Amino acid sequence: MNQDLLAALVPALPLMGAIILASLRRKLSTNAAGGLATALMAGAFVCSILLFMGFDATTGGRTVKLLDWIHVGSMEIPLALRIDALSLTMMLIVTGIGSLIHLYSIGYMHEDERAPTFFAQLNLFSFAMLMLVMGSNFLITFIGWEGVGLCSYLLIGFWYKTPEYNYAARKAFVMNRIGDVGMVLAMVLLFQRFGTLEYATIMDAATGFNDPMMIAATLFLFIGATGKSAQIPLFTWLPDAMAGPTPVSALIHAATMVTAGIFLTVRSSVLFELAPFTQDIILWIGTATALIAASIGLFQNDIKKVLAYSTVSQLGYMFVALGLGSYSAAMFHVTTHAFFKALLFLGAGSVIHALGGEQDIRKMGGLKGHIKITFLTFFIGTIAISGLPLMSGFFSKDLIMAFAFDRSPVLFALLLIGALMTTFYMFRLLFLVFYGKYRGNAHPHESPLSMTLPLMVLAVLSVVGGLLNLPHLFGGHEAMKHFLMSAADGISNESLELSHVTEWTLMGITTALVAVMIYIAYGRFAQKATLEGNEADMPFFKRLIAQRWRVDELYRALFEKPYAWLSTNLFSIAEQKVMVPIMNGVGAAANSLGDGFRRLQTGYVSFHMLAMLAGLILFLVITLMSN
Amino acid sequence: MIAALLLLIPFLTALLLVTMRPTQARPIALVASLASLAVVLFAWISYTGGTVIHYDYDWVNAWGLRFVVGYDGVGLLMVILTAVVFPFIIGAGYGQPEDRPALFNGLLLFTQSFLYLVFLAQNALLFYIGYELTLIPVFFLLLFWGGADRRAITVRFFIYTLVGGLSLLFGIVYLLIQSGGNGDFTALANLSIPTSTQLWLFWALFLAFAIKLPIFPFHSWQPETYYMAPIQGTMVLGAVMLKMGLYGVYKLVFPIVPAGVEHWQTTVIVLALIGAVYGGVIAFRQSDFKRLVAFSSLSHVGVLCAGLFAWNTYGISGSFYQAFAHAILVLGMLYLVGAMQERTGTTDMGAMGGLKGHAPRLAALFLLVLVNAVALPLTQSFVGEWLMFAGLWQVNGWLTLFALTTIVIGAIYMLYAYQRVMLGPDRANVTLQDAGMRDHLYLVPLIAVTLILGVYPGPILELVDAPVQQLLSSLSVH
Amino acid sequence: MEEGIITAIRIVPLEHYILLSFLLFSIGAAGVVFRRNTIIILMCLELMFNSVNLLLTAFSAHHSDPRAQVFVFFIMLVAAAEVTVGLSILVMMKRNVDSVDVNQLNRLKG
Repeated sequence: MNQDLLAALVPALPLMGAIILASLRRKLSTNAAGGLATALMAGAFVCSILLFMGFDATTGGRTVKLLDWIHVGSMEIPLALRIDALSLTMMLIVTGIGSLIHLYSIGYMHEDERAPTFFAQLNLFSFAMLMLVMGSNFLITFIGWEGVGLCSYLLIGFWYKTPEYNYAARKAFVMNRIGDVGMVLAMVLLFQRFGTLEYATIMDAATGFNDPMMIAATLFLFIGATGKSAQIPLFTWLPDAMAGPTPVSALIHAATMVTAGIFLTVRSSVLFELAPFTQDIILWIGTATALIAASIGLFQNDIKKVLAYSTVSQLGYMFVALGLGSYSAAMFHVTTHAFFKALLFLGAGSVIHALGGEQDIRKMGGLKGHIKITFLTFFIGTIAISGLPLMSGFFSKDLIMAFAFDRSPVLFALLLIGALMTTFYMFRLLFLVFYGKYRGNAHPHESPLSMTLPLMVLAVLSVVGGLLNLPHLFGGHEAMKHFLMSAADGISNESLELSHVTEWTLMGITTALVAVMIYIAYGRFAQKATLEGNEADMPFFKRLIAQRWRVDELYRALFEKPYAWLSTNLFSIAEQKVMVPIMNGVGAAANSLGDGFRRLQTGYVSFHMLAMLAGLILFLVITLMSN
Repeated sequence: MIAALLLLIPFLTALLLVTMRPTQARPIALVASLASLAVVLFAWISYTGGTVIHYDYDWVNAWGLRFVVGYDGVGLLMVILTAVVFPFIIGAGYGQPEDRPALFNGLLLFTQSFLYLVFLAQNALLFYIGYELTLIPVFFLLLFWGGADRRAITVRFFIYTLVGGLSLLFGIVYLLIQSGGNGDFTALANLSIPTSTQLWLFWALFLAFAIKLPIFPFHSWQPETYYMAPIQGTMVLGAVMLKMGLYGVYKLVFPIVPAGVEHWQTTVIVLALIGAVYGGVIAFRQSDFKRLVAFSSLSHVGVLCAGLFAWNTYGISGSFYQAFAHAILVLGMLYLVGAMQERTGTTDMGAMGGLKGHAPRLAALFLLVLVNAVALPLTQSFVGEWLMFAGLWQVNGWLTLFALTTIVIGAIYMLYAYQRVMLGPDRANVTLQDAGMRDHLYLVPLIAVTLILGVYPGPILELVDAPVQQLLSSLSVH
Repeated sequence: MEEGIITAIRIVPLEHYILLSFLLFSIGAAGVVFRRNTIIILMCLELMFNSVNLLLTAFSAHHSDPRAQVFVFFIMLVAAAEVTVGLSILVMMKRNVDSVDVNQLNRLKG
């Protein structure tokens, strides 16, 4: 089939689904709607695979122009898609994992009467996400960028009857919007500089530039990335976003949307390579986010919140990789993370489904006997994210750690601490949910096949995902890196100069410590019958962490409340006490002017006559004088 | 022929309505406005670029008043805008009880006719006559059908805009003296006025438009007037009347006092952006839906004006593109205000909430209108905003940053409004009619226009592009 | 015969006409401004008209230009019309306020 048509079909199929489902949402049953949505996503996946098979990496990529979009003066921005190694990678992730999650949702959303709407929005999200990754210029990416923000808003607030969910949805959208400001600034700056927004043209033209403007542009791009990818300081929306249905958390807030920031950075890797200052900032923000989010994860009691903070933390790792200039490692981790985090979220969804909506891990426990498939797959996800040897997470995380060690051992140590915390909270979660005795009072039951099938597929991927980019150390040849190199020029600058001995040593240390963490977690949580969880009893520092470093409270005090205060008072004071009286002053001035002239109207004819005469004489005098 | 039809169809229909007072006034008015829309579409299709002059008659030459009507691309865009908007304004009256519908719709059509005159006039005095004439029917619309406190607010609005109008008249008369009594725009554009004169003449001319738009700090008439006016009156004010301000700047300020514009550019942009942020911040906590729309309009218009004064291809084109988008948006938002008022009997958002459960279709329509309000890509507003930001960036990066805060602020108040109206727990013992045929007939075309022009803005941008380029190149020659 | 009148007019120097008509005009103006009786005011108005007429005739004769005399006819015509209106106002005034004092008409006082 024609490659251009295929490329256009990939985003068009989910869009069609969204339109059809939205207009027929009242007439379709859950199964019909879900089936249609899943089928279309699967269709997009097949198209992506066909594109992938027909793709020749040596050509660099192709641009498929659909139509002229914005054309003013010398600004020409076409609606065009770009097919290259990078967009293909992301397309495969989005459509592949997307199809699985659509399938899963049929089971998960079975009892929700608004399921067709849900599928419409999920399809719309897929469309937006595909536009994001397939756009041939920044503005097309921005279509998807904002589009996923909207869908994220809709899906977080899907259960609109709960005010907190609506608040979470708004928070997500607004925080994303703050990031978008950075993105728009970057775009106008790049447009001013290069006269175009096409990726290919900019990346080719950029190589000479090395100036403050490039630092500004990359910093703006990074601000955009922090919003979408939940990095410090814009990370607090992601945990709240767990208000949405669990498949949404898996698809949007773990596997795809939140990796948009990483995607964008890799897309613009040439620019970032020219701005080492920005790279340093990315590096440290990524590290800080990875550590802080992981520390919060240690104390969360909501199964989805744990995973959410884990996502933030893992995204931090990806940004560390970007900061180190190792774009292939970041993309590798994006891929493996998409596998195991989607798996974990879907597993969590299965647990929640089994317990009839319960999300508090203090009321779980001992579930491994009740829901065997979920347990097994969740177990695989846990060891994958913890980086146990030969799991997918092991390879991707290890690559990042190796790059970090190459830069500085301190950085390596920090990341190691983060990795250990990850292991600890993940196993804490695993033990509390599946081991020990059941502490709740529901009747756990295994989920239907439509839900367990995606779990099994993702579990397999989580195990073997590492093969995608198997390092030389294990006899591979970094396939993914070489594949991506044709699309992101920054990758060719990567170099890892560690001897094999050092690599083995690092790996050994990491693995040993991870094992220790698992043992500790097992000892503390595996056999718990009851759980203390009273924050008031904790020492100060521990309590601070358990309360999420009080960042939400800080933001509320620093931004939300003053903003509301400002809004109220601008209206009641500035507008009503200042601006309106000033305007009334104009009317009053006209009034008093008239009042003054009124006194001239004595009403006596003789006075008017006199005035007339006087005026006449005055006029005469002036005329005579001026001659 | 086209110009005559445009001016006369609404005018004569309005005369008929006002004098005969037929009972079926609304359908008649709707047919008239649709007929004029058809004429405009024909004009659009047959337009091939350049400035088209339809009539050129001497009138009162001693004053420099000549009857010259025609349009360039921007003028045509404004005419299209007027033609597109009025069927909706008249249509918004369906299903709503209203006294003296013949007079009401007659006044609307008078307004339309005068607006055409404004956008077609190629002579400064003729422009001024149209500009002030539009006030008269609107004055009566507000005075007869307004809400509480209408007398005081209407008079205030009237005086305030008249002050601006007077200053404009003064400026035009000054220009006429300079040009030896030739008031045609082409003649005025060729004047070479000393820079020191331009500095004050700029404000004499711009003040009227600053008030009409309105930009900060001349805006205080706007929120109260929008709030008090009948929905359709607000639609007229927000969707088209304020565009006269933009068009006036393009026609009467940019080509005539370029040095004045250059000098005051930053001041105006800063004022406009202050207004944009100010309106947006206030909108967040407004508890009244209609007032919220008023303040949001203030916010949008601030960005519009800033984009216009970026004074380069992207800024001006974006601003006019956005003017179209904003008109469509205002219609949609105000129709929703009306729809909610019809259903709940109030515009107070405190009394709403949880309505999505009762009226899911209405909620969906609201959401689609809202998407345009927050300028999401692939809606019309995004194209305009992007161009304006790109234009502003060429002026000053910090101003762009300042302008960009409005996209965050806009999201904050719009989503909060949506939540307060639609979301939340279902209201007990509320029976609410979901969006019906009428609502769909009204809102779906608006949403369709928004999305189509968001994906394919070419036709409109083409209209604007050439005249703006021409304007800018003629300025650089000076 | 016409020549005779013009010659007769020319016997008196122009300055005298100007002085006389100035005096007449001033008397008329003073009367309009200071008198309160409407009849007197109307008569004073006539006086002013006629002073102007006198002046115009004198100028006409002295400059041998007949155009000024045309104006005199216009003025007489207008004056006649004006008196008609003025007297009818006077009659209405007498009927309505039972007085011919102009200061009774002060309703327009601001």
